[in-house]
Amino acid sequence: MNVTLAVKQYISKMIENSGPGMKVLLMDKETTSIVSVVYTQSEILQKEVYLFERIDSQNRDAMKHLKAICFHHCLLENVENLIQELRRPKYSVYFIYFSNVISKSEVKTLAEADEQEVVAEVQEFYGDFIAVNPHLFSLNLTGVARGRSWEPTLLPRCTQGLTSVLLALKKCPMVRYQLSSQMAKRLGESVKQIITKEYELFDFRKTEVPPLLLILDRSDDALTPLLNQWTYQAMVHELLGLNNNRIDLSRVPGISKDLREVVLSAENDEFYANNLYLNFGEIGTNIKNLMEDFQKKKPKAQQKLESISDMKAFVDNYPQFKKMSGTVSKHVTVVGELSRLVSDRQLMEVSEVEQELASQNDHSSANQNVRRLLQNPKVSELDAVRLVMLYALRYEKHSSSNLPGLMEDLNRKGVSERHRKMVQSMVEYGGKRVRGSDLVTPTDAVAITKQFFKGLKGVENVYTQHQPLLQETLDQLIKGRLKDSQFPYLGPSTLRDRPQDIIVFIIGGATYEEALTVYNLNRTTPGVRIVLGGTTIHNTKSFLEEVTSAASSGHSGERSHVVGRHPSRR
Amino acid sequence: MASSYPPPFETPGEVKEGFLCPLCLKDLQSFYQLQDHYEEEHAGEDRHVRGQLKSLVQKAKKAKDKLLKRDGEERVDSGSYESFYYGGVDPYMWEPQELGATRSHLESFKKHRAARIDHYVIEVNKLIIRLEKLTSFDRMSTDAAKIRAIEKSVVSWVSDSDVPFCPDCGNKFNIRNRRHHCRLCGSIMCRKCMEFVPLPLAYKLTSGTREALCAPGSPGQSQSLPVGSSAPGSRRGSISSLSSVSSMLEEKDDDRVRCCRHCMDTLLRKQEKLEEKDHVPDVVKLYQRLRLCMDKVDEKAPEYIKMAESLNAGETTYNLEHTNGLRMEVQKYYELIDALSKKILTLGMKEEPPPRPKALQLQRMVRYTATLFVQEKLLGLMSLPTKEKYEELKEKRKQEQEKRLQQERQASLEAQKRRSDIEKSRAPPPNTNGEATQPPRPTMTKAGGWLPSSSVLHTRELQDPLLQQIDNIQSFIQQARTAQRTDELATLEENLRQLQDEYDQQQTSLAIQLSKKMAEEESLQQEQLHLLQEREERQAASTHTRTRSLDFREAQSAQDGEEEHAGQHVGSLGPTKAKVSPLSKTQSMKAFDHLPSREESPPAQRKRDEPLPRVAQERNDTTATSLNPFEEENSTPIEDDPFNPFAEEILKEHSQKEVSNGKKEYNPFEDEVVDGEEECAMGREEGSGNPFEEEEDEGNPFSEASDATPPAIRPGPSTNPFEEDGEPADEDIIEEELLLQQIDNIRAYIFDAKLSGRADEVELLSENLRDLQRTLQEQRRKTE
Repeated sequence: MNVTLAVKQYISKMIENSGPGMKVLLMDKETTSIVSVVYTQSEILQKEVYLFERIDSQNRDAMKHLKAICFHHCLLENVENLIQELRRPKYSVYFIYFSNVISKSEVKTLAEADEQEVVAEVQEFYGDFIAVNPHLFSLNLTGVARGRSWEPTLLPRCTQGLTSVLLALKKCPMVRYQLSSQMAKRLGESVKQIITKEYELFDFRKTEVPPLLLILDRSDDALTPLLNQWTYQAMVHELLGLNNNRIDLSRVPGISKDLREVVLSAENDEFYANNLYLNFGEIGTNIKNLMEDFQKKKPKAQQKLESISDMKAFVDNYPQFKKMSGTVSKHVTVVGELSRLVSDRQLMEVSEVEQELASQNDHSSANQNVRRLLQNPKVSELDAVRLVMLYALRYEKHSSSNLPGLMEDLNRKGVSERHRKMVQSMVEYGGKRVRGSDLVTPTDAVAITKQFFKGLKGVENVYTQHQPLLQETLDQLIKGRLKDSQFPYLGPSTLRDRPQDIIVFIIGGATYEEALTVYNLNRTTPGVRIVLGGTTIHNTKSFLEEVTSAASSGHSGERSHVVGRHPSRR
Repeated sequence: MASSYPPPFETPGEVKEGFLCPLCLKDLQSFYQLQDHYEEEHAGEDRHVRGQLKSLVQKAKKAKDKLLKRDGEERVDSGSYESFYYGGVDPYMWEPQELGATRSHLESFKKHRAARIDHYVIEVNKLIIRLEKLTSFDRMSTDAAKIRAIEKSVVSWVSDSDVPFCPDCGNKFNIRNRRHHCRLCGSIMCRKCMEFVPLPLAYKLTSGTREALCAPGSPGQSQSLPVGSSAPGSRRGSISSLSSVSSMLEEKDDDRVRCCRHCMDTLLRKQEKLEEKDHVPDVVKLYQRLRLCMDKVDEKAPEYIKMAESLNAGETTYNLEHTNGLRMEVQKYYELIDALSKKILTLGMKEEPPPRPKALQLQRMVRYTATLFVQEKLLGLMSLPTKEKYEELKEKRKQEQEKRLQQERQASLEAQKRRSDIEKSRAPPPNTNGEATQPPRPTMTKAGGWLPSSSVLHTRELQDPLLQQIDNIQSFIQQARTAQRTDELATLEENLRQLQDEYDQQQTSLAIQLSKKMAEEESLQQEQLHLLQEREERQAASTHTRTRSLDFREAQSAQDGEEEHAGQHVGSLGPTKAKVSPLSKTQSMKAFDHLPSREESPPAQRKRDEPLPRVAQERNDTTATSLNPFEEENSTPIEDDPFNPFAEEILKEHSQKEVSNGKKEYNPFEDEVVDGEEECAMGREEGSGNPFEEEEDEGNPFSEASDATPPAIRPGPSTNPFEEDGEPADEDIIEEELLLQQIDNIRAYIFDAKLSGRADEVELLSENLRDLQRTLQEQRRKTE
């Protein structure tokens, strides 16, 4: 169930298959990010892969002494590029792997192009997803919705991605979907169809309890992506933007050249792996420790290494020191930038109100707090808008809802019209009318008890009060109490036991907060393994774009093509 | 909340806010009631679990987990409940999985390709054969018309009227745009789309085929070919100048063959393939050698590391010289890797034209990987000990092994001794503290053995020839064991047993006498015990607070010096604190005050503890009023003074017990003093004859082991002082060796740093290097 490992294994198998000798890895746009998320360059270099090329790049030189490993998404353009490549091969041997199912006819055209007999292998290796964490994958698809239904070009892509996850993990699951979402149902059916069609592929060893695929819709919980985050990974994504585990720091004032773009990968950054899910305060302490460690190990320029033992210690520590100095400066920069943003944008205050909005039920105080923050000139436009959105989602139907007043405040604050329009889009996207399960005011008894306990225990950390809806859904699912009426099975058979292997997929994108929830559920629930996936992984900014694109394409079919397709090509 | 957490599960009566049924919100009084309620009322609601036997249990568990978790949340102020309740698995720890599903299309691919290739190969071969025909005659001397006739005979030309437009560019043919025929396939194209096969290329292409075709049958013909293929080359200059003239005439192609673009493509590809076949680029050659070296390192380095580890641990499994040789070999490989990769990096740099950017990138990457490889592996390569050092290490290891062996033996012995102790201490007033004697043991083991073994042996020689014999045999056994001679080991052990039996017998007779004395002693002790108990009760009545006792301690610590000196007598007699010794009266009074206040420990312990010092004191009184046990012990034959060691042992136990009980909290320094004294006392005592072992002989058939104890204790630590003395002597030599190694390493780093352009590091490193070299020279001078 480890998606990172699944992709890694595929790639190392590819390299292994090609035998010894210098190699080049030929990829395309899609597969480049898939590979780069799980492997670092030096790791791959050790496997004798010395060059990384894009199949569509024009300035590749012929190097007949190299073996080519081609890993491609089975898009038509890639197949065409590959055909061109085979007609005029630049390398001696080609090992071709597709990240998904390809058609027989494509195999035939490829075969006919291989007049030089350079192809030694043609296989499908189902690594068609971005493995962000061992339990978290993304398909890097944005703008998937057109109003309330699928952007037509993206449904097949999404299906491919999701089925490749199933194949990579060797799971042939039962499918449950969120009834309130048409998109969830479509995707579920589409996946089921593939499973039926490729039944030979999905013929895995049967487990006692069949795995379960649960398909959810982001519109059911529009609150979560709107909140500011305080755990490291989530926070970095929210404030700096994580793209395939990379952060772009070029906008950071006074950034040094080699830190313009940094990679945060739990695979080979121990500090990051240990602090991924810790909150900002804890990270601060850990950074301090890291610094101190570093100081201790750092050979001061003036410090003469006088004795042999000094020398030896220095020499012994040298490689770690080098590695460490990289880690230290990276994390110090990142955390420094985070805290700069936090104080600049007064995120502590903002977040407190956000959390109150999201998890408490006190309209008048919420109203007051939001108004107060809207007056604050330091609160950024984005934060102002998100506060109003949260308010709108939360107290949409409240008797004394003050949404128009707040909108007026936004206007006075000078928030652009584009952003103000988004509030309306957001309500349309994730408002009460749309939601299947109730997001905020729990109606069923269990939830009330929960709420009650929450009230009792007081608040440990104001900034992390909010629990995403996913927590509740999964909790019920694990206990076998998720209602069939809300989350029906696709097909006649239902799961009789409590599920063990669960793959949750959120159409419209998951968040790192949800990843943390799933991580914790994994750690605390014996015998249950959960993998979370989404069409993408959102922060507030990308979520707003997603919502806007869904809304605008919903309104006019004309624009949908432009808006819907453009981001999908990213 | 926290304090109310445990009881609810035991006392069902207690009301807790949390016992609400999660489904109907009914307030239930206790966990069990809630559980019952849950099972009765809501059992049916759980669709998925219903019908299963275990469902009830699960639900109960679920409910319980819920409550537990919740309680956890309440209890743990910071962090979430995960820190309190782990049940699942961190996704990073998920067990390894097999490779995901794959599907191969190779079969169908090959099928399709084979069909295509057959066709393609035939086409190519046809072209080549035609080309051969076209070039097999001497075009230079043949006139144009004849050439044309031959060309026409090779392939049937498409008739002009069938092709009104150029099939490649689509231009209409007319007078100005004339038709041209491909001499290889006969098709028509315009002038613009026409290509020429130069004769050298033609020869090259055809030579392969001819060779392949003719080689087996007619060697003569194939021999003539090189001449043919080289000839055009030599003549090329004149031909091309000629051809430029003849091209004006347009009709005579005496140095080339006209063909269409498609045929040309095919031919060029064929040519490329031919070239590749036997051409191995330099980079590949170098790279192959590089990989070979890397493989060798991969193979040898672990082997070397294993050997070096073993040698550094002083083991004798491997030969030092051999290992050194291996080290040299591995280092050679590293150098080779470095050199090769450097060569790859600069490959073709000076040539014209310079290598293409991708080739350069490849070379850089290979170099980078090689550097990474060297960095990673070279650092794992530990250094070897020098010869002298190795000898020393061997010695050390031997000693360590002995020590370990003896410790093992001692451990078993200790267990027996403990048992006998318990037995013994049961004989005096009922001792509830049987177990309490255990903790001090490890300390004793540690404390023991501070004397060098040689001196022990000396004292022993004086003591008892039998014991000495036993000792010798034991050391033989050790040696045999290290040399792994099992047969000798067996005989030696047999000898040892016999000797020990004999020794036992000797000792038992002694012990019988001793035990008689003991019995007398015990009755005495009992009396005193009663006395003491009474006194203590009185003492306990006057309460002493902890703080006060603390004060006492502090005050006492000031007297430590005194105590230390005084402590020499009767090994401080930790218990002396309980009172007694006139010299340390003030101090022991305080201690006495302190004791009861501290003592929540069972009175039984005191019962046992206190009478003993008494005894000791009495003995002091009786023997010679000598307050200094040093003298006393030296002067009094120990066998004559059986209870002293016994007392002392228990005393020690007691004092150590105190230490562990909590004295440490107050004044650790004093503990040390006590410990130290104890050690003195112990060492002296044991060294001079192991008195207590004789005592223990009674009722302890294994006591022979107890005489193995003292030596066991000694050798280990004793090596330390020894070593310290020994080391400075060969320090210089070692350092030199080390220095050389360091210099080597530093050079590697400098190199690396330079490579990655970290100028500051280079500077620092080279400074260090200079320093090192200076040191080295100085040292050399000194040694010379």
